[in-house]
Amino acid sequence: MTFEEKGIAQAMDVTEKIHEQLKKSRVTLAASLPDDWIAPLINRIAADNTMRHVRVAREAEAIAICSGAFFGGVRSAALIGATGLLTCTGELATLNLRHQIPVFLIVSQRGSIDDHRIYQEVQGRCTIPLLQAYDFPYHIVNKPDEISSIPDAYEASRLQKRPFVLFLTRKLVKGDEA
Amino acid sequence: MRAREAIETVANHRGDAIAVCALGMAANEWWAVTKSEETFYMHGAMGFAASFALGLALSLPETSIWLINADGSLCMNLGCLLTEASQAPKNLKHFVVDNQVYQTVGALPMVNQGRTDYAAIARGAGIERARTIETLDALETAMPGIVAEDGPSFTLLRVLPETGFLRTPPMTYEGPEMKYRFGRALEKRFGITVFGPQGY
Repeated sequence: MTFEEKGIAQAMDVTEKIHEQLKKSRVTLAASLPDDWIAPLINRIAADNTMRHVRVAREAEAIAICSGAFFGGVRSAALIGATGLLTCTGELATLNLRHQIPVFLIVSQRGSIDDHRIYQEVQGRCTIPLLQAYDFPYHIVNKPDEISSIPDAYEASRLQKRPFVLFLTRKLVKGDEA
Repeated sequence: MRAREAIETVANHRGDAIAVCALGMAANEWWAVTKSEETFYMHGAMGFAASFALGLALSLPETSIWLINADGSLCMNLGCLLTEASQAPKNLKHFVVDNQVYQTVGALPMVNQGRTDYAAIARGAGIERARTIETLDALETAMPGIVAEDGPSFTLLRVLPETGFLRTPPMTYEGPEMKYRFGRALEKRFGITVFGPQGY
């Protein structure tokens, strides 16, 4: 198996495990706007007819859709990239902080030291300090055996009554060899 | 027609629909007319009442959800029309109060004032049942049909701008209190669980 094939195999395995843990968390609605790291997860969820999948035009739509679903008694997740997270901090503050509405975000942690893309470097430097300024909790999943923490993270998001970010690292979604 | 008259007429036909209101004039007028606790009144996230209403509509597919939006809010999130069209929720009706100004901040003109055909944009997005209503008589005549038709529908209510600030006060509940009142109202009515056994 080539390095690239190993990377693809790990990505498929990771995607399956995250999907499994979302189901274990009783998530039945997912709203998404793709980043290439989370595209396989979005495709997998889109193919699951037990989970309502909503494709959106802007990340803040996903935030507000999940917030509305909360009041319908439906557990949901927003799947977006780090750039998208930066675009919707105003809505996260004035909707979710304002009303104390929990929302669970699964976000690719772009701009990390192993993400050699110039257009991601600002996200890498600014995203976590920004979350800290807003007092949004977050949890980083870096290895496949940490994926099982998702149900606890989901419960923490409800308990904290605010946006909660679950970051997926490059090492997790692309593997060591990618 | 005036905004208050349009909102009163729409509210008179709402039956047992749950409403979601965009912040500002739409929320304040709906509260003044209905005093409804089965309504979510946005305090922020301008433009995203539409997405909130869509999430609620998808979660309660047997319940009629009415979105009371405004032209300023719609312009902040025109993409909501694409998402509404793609999900095609039969239980969602989208009303837009269009006074062509940012009324809450002193009636400053809307972007592209007087030129935008929002119903055409909605149709272009794929929402077939879209129309503009300009008089109270026409609204009274249209409402029974709007109530009876399947969603998603889009109804633009062309109203007169007020002079200066519109001083209808907002609803009186603070953000978290509104969350709990609205959530508890839905739990009671539908037998759903919004909050867990520890109340969060």
